[in-house]
Amino acid sequence: MFDNYVLSDNSLKNVKKDGKTVGYEMRTRITYYRGIPLSMVHDILVEVDDQPVPRENIRFSLDGELYFTLDEMATVTFYKWEYGQEGIIFVEQEGGLSEGEHKVKLTQVTRVAYIPVPFSGTQTKTMAV
Amino acid sequence: MSNIKRCVSLYSYQDEYARGKMTLEDCIKELASIGVEGVEIISDQMLWNAPDVSDEDIANWHRIIRENGITPVCNDIYINTVLYKNRRLTQKENLALLKKELHLAHKLGIPLVRLVSLTPTDIIEDALPLAEELNVVMALEVHGGMAFDNPETKKFTDLMFKLNSPYVGLVVDTGIFCRKHPRVSTAFFLNQGLNPAVAEYIDNEFAKGKDVEAISHQRVLPDELESQIRSWVDREYVLFAGGYENHDFSVLDPYLPFIKHFHGKFFEMTEEGVEYSVPYKEFIDYLKEKGYNGYIASEYEGGRFALPGTEIDAVTQVRKHQEMLKKYI
Repeated sequence: MFDNYVLSDNSLKNVKKDGKTVGYEMRTRITYYRGIPLSMVHDILVEVDDQPVPRENIRFSLDGELYFTLDEMATVTFYKWEYGQEGIIFVEQEGGLSEGEHKVKLTQVTRVAYIPVPFSGTQTKTMAV
Repeated sequence: MSNIKRCVSLYSYQDEYARGKMTLEDCIKELASIGVEGVEIISDQMLWNAPDVSDEDIANWHRIIRENGITPVCNDIYINTVLYKNRRLTQKENLALLKKELHLAHKLGIPLVRLVSLTPTDIIEDALPLAEELNVVMALEVHGGMAFDNPETKKFTDLMFKLNSPYVGLVVDTGIFCRKHPRVSTAFFLNQGLNPAVAEYIDNEFAKGKDVEAISHQRVLPDELESQIRSWVDREYVLFAGGYENHDFSVLDPYLPFIKHFHGKFFEMTEEGVEYSVPYKEFIDYLKEKGYNGYIASEYEGGRFALPGTEIDAVTQVRKHQEMLKKYI
């Protein structure tokens, strides 16, 4: 349904900090039709080349400056993820991903007041680093 | 010719907006170019940081609607009762959020807020004095899957009758008048691996004039249907099928004085210029007979059934829907 918004095309890349590759990131739009405070993002799951990424290595950012862990996000009500806005999913991993293609699966789960169970969107894409 | 007025909900253009093909201003310009009178928005969708929208963005909104000669009709709002993972908001918290929304509508010059289905009823009476002061009507959405017989909807309508205020009413979604399951939905789910026998079962129920909601939202499905369920896709299809209700228009009779607005839900405008599931001519004839003189807002929802690799063209679909409304009104 909204799954086509989960992974932005060609958005997978390694992230360098002070000359060292500290991880990788991808971009995602909300799989809902309106913006919500970050606390309503119930969960984010990442799999790369069929391997699940540990939850504590995942960070989320709206602006590329401020990053939240998933546990922190549960209380973030001040910042809103706007509809259509590309959020950044950063995965902390020394050395990042090897050059070439990787199969990435991203799942977003949000809470919606009028749907009794959290609502998820998933997309798998092969993207090159 | 009747006094029914035409509107478009910007919900319709959500894909174009999300992908950066159309801005809020582009959407309003499109409405002006096709001669639509009113606009309905979802502030959480197209106004940043809603309900705390900046003064600059509010001024910009007023400029856009003034320059294009469009009347703001309705804002679709949500109370984020599930803001936190570990608990639901309290009555006081929900009420404070609703009041913020009333203030926002007032600032935007919008006289009506649509409360999404299942909005807590226990905040309405306490918000009423503010709604009166700001001259903003609060109306619950009556949507397929959660129509008049839903206990939460009934709680609201009971209160509405009791308060009997011009500031408390309903927005009815025409998805409760589906005579056929949308075939764009069926095509989408078949592509995902839906068992065709499940789709056939649902189509047959509609053909018999039955309301599928009464089957699909039960804990136990009829044996004949359950025996065809093979996968999660099948179960999801059946669950979503209950979102297309099949009521007679007369279901509205007792509520008519409280109906503030209609969502003209549509999934697919066919080559013949009609909606595939909802019989709009008969619907508009019913409204004319009852003397309804409010708006019907085109609300395109077929985009979510776009097959992988196909582009969504809400602009064309809305144009066709508006042409149809114009003809029947």
